[in-house]
Amino acid sequence: MAIKTSWVVTSVACAAALAGVAHAQSPSPHAAQMIRSRSKAVCVNPHPNHMKISAIVVGFSQSQGNENPFRAEETKSLKDAAASFHAKRYVYTNAHSNEAKQVADVESMINQGAQALVIAPLNSTGLQPAFAQAVGKHIPIITIDRHTAGTDCTDYLSFMGSNFYKQGEIDGEQLAKATGGHAVIAEIQGAYGNSVETARTKGFAAAIHKYPGMKIIAAQTGNWSTTDAQTVMSQILLAHPNVNAVYTQSDTMAFGAITALRDAGKKPGQVKIVTIDGTKQGVQDIVSGWVYADDETNPRFGPIALHEIQNWFDGKPVPQTIVIKDHLYTQADAKSALASDAPY
Amino acid sequence: MSVSGTSAAVRAEGAAPERRARLIALIQSRGAIGVLVLATIVASLRFPFFPTVANFENIGTAASFLGLVAIGQTFVIILGGFDLSVGSLIGLGSVLAAYALPYGWWAALLVPALAGGAVGLVDGLLIARAGMAPFIVTLAALLGVRGIALVLAKNSLVIATPGVFGLIANGQILGIDNLIWIVLIGFAIAAIVLNRTRYGVAVFAIGGNEEAARMLGVPVARIKVLTYVVSGTLAGLSGALLAAHLSSGISTAGQGEELKSIAAAVIGGVLLTGGVGTMAGALSGVLLLGLIENVIDQIGNLSSYYQNLASGVFLLIAVLIQTVLTRRRR
Repeated sequence: MAIKTSWVVTSVACAAALAGVAHAQSPSPHAAQMIRSRSKAVCVNPHPNHMKISAIVVGFSQSQGNENPFRAEETKSLKDAAASFHAKRYVYTNAHSNEAKQVADVESMINQGAQALVIAPLNSTGLQPAFAQAVGKHIPIITIDRHTAGTDCTDYLSFMGSNFYKQGEIDGEQLAKATGGHAVIAEIQGAYGNSVETARTKGFAAAIHKYPGMKIIAAQTGNWSTTDAQTVMSQILLAHPNVNAVYTQSDTMAFGAITALRDAGKKPGQVKIVTIDGTKQGVQDIVSGWVYADDETNPRFGPIALHEIQNWFDGKPVPQTIVIKDHLYTQADAKSALASDAPY
Repeated sequence: MSVSGTSAAVRAEGAAPERRARLIALIQSRGAIGVLVLATIVASLRFPFFPTVANFENIGTAASFLGLVAIGQTFVIILGGFDLSVGSLIGLGSVLAAYALPYGWWAALLVPALAGGAVGLVDGLLIARAGMAPFIVTLAALLGVRGIALVLAKNSLVIATPGVFGLIANGQILGIDNLIWIVLIGFAIAAIVLNRTRYGVAVFAIGGNEEAARMLGVPVARIKVLTYVVSGTLAGLSGALLAAHLSSGISTAGQGEELKSIAAAVIGGVLLTGGVGTMAGALSGVLLLGLIENVIDQIGNLSSYYQNLASGVFLLIAVLIQTVLTRRRR
């Protein structure tokens, strides 16, 4: 009973903390990020200075262009959070998929007086010189959405993001459910060269491995692009007309695959599609019957990221890893989610 | 630095038209430097964070990778061609550097440079000996080289202990970042080669009129092959320095740098039709593109789309002025 009580107390405390976070965010119909897990390992500021976000310059280094809905929503979330925390000034840069530019961007924001940074790393490595600069000036960094090489608590305080491996696994399980464990699968992967694609590929393969009746007959990259995915899907359909299941690693590519399937005369639901992102388009495709399940990657990092930076200044423990809880959109809730404007 | 083609236009004219022709040639070769100086002054007055040593160093180091590639690209464009393979070679170079580093820092520089040179050699031979179009040959290299880089390293490679190799890119001499020294010395050597050597004269001659150059006894094919080798080598080296700077081999690095290097050269007054251009101009073009990026970031909340828009507008204006000036001179 005592144990149960303390658990309740903790969960209430968590809920209160989350409520605080939610409260800090400007009222919005969009679904705020929820936390799936916090790592036990934490970073604690040895010299808390109790600075307030409202008294400092906050910088955000975005990695890729905002034509991608995920990036656009992420950028917006950071900007909104900076406003609702009343940051003294908010500086923003976009590396436009250029690794060297992201390093320069971070340095440029430090030169502009940034006292806390949020970075969406472009790559799983390559930010070392930027971290070195920030460390020298005791600037706390939170990394979001993609994990990048660096030392916890020294180079950056925390990584917060989705579990990309888990996303692949969940999609594998969903596909097994949709096809009763008997599937000839076409997999359309993200662009090669970063860890997101690798993790989503491995997670899916691990889940599928448990079902002897499920086979990946073709796996090709669609480069996160709708048109590339459409081309790849058309070619796979020509070579393997018996494909009855598709796994795409992003909603943009799911859209391309659907176009190819429609061109090949398939009807919605005839070929089961699972995908990742949870964008408006993806959830809309569930409603129209094409997509069976869409595992969300919630890009709204702003409130939690700034909340943890405040914790750092206050000398409170900051978890080294925060895994974001991703919602799984299915036929059951797609319509209501769209109605409440939850997907981005 | 002389500008090829001016002497012919100027010769045997009266004093006034001669002065006018000189002025036009001056604008053509030095216009970009003027715009760069002007833009620097305006940005310094407008943005308090712009005119700081740290920020200038920041622009310089960020532009250095493009700068090295732009040197080779400028040689190639003056020659009358262009090289689309350089962006992919940056990616391949950075991956090869990461793989070669265990054998020594020199290997991490040498292997990417040699690989880049080899790709340039193949490109050059196909263009000069087989008479294929530079666009197609180097486009094929762009695709093929990127493929090789991705096969070699599907994900990025972390360089755990960069050591001396890291210092080459991230160290300082006399308080100035090594990368800036490297690119400045590179441009200085390139300017001397372009203007003070027989090779440079040959490059201008071929770009100006290939047939005439051949009849004058210029070894056209050899010069062409050599120029693509230079361009490839510099691109491979740029990739190696990027790896040193970022402590990483990144197979996807350098995408789009081929077009940016062409844009930088053209903004700097290098004529796409060949035969005209200066290294100082190309350097100004590189710095102008870097300055635009930097200033758009300083404005902060302005969407980065404006960066592409501003670069595009600059490019268009540069080409427009070039066209008008060239017509005036005729």
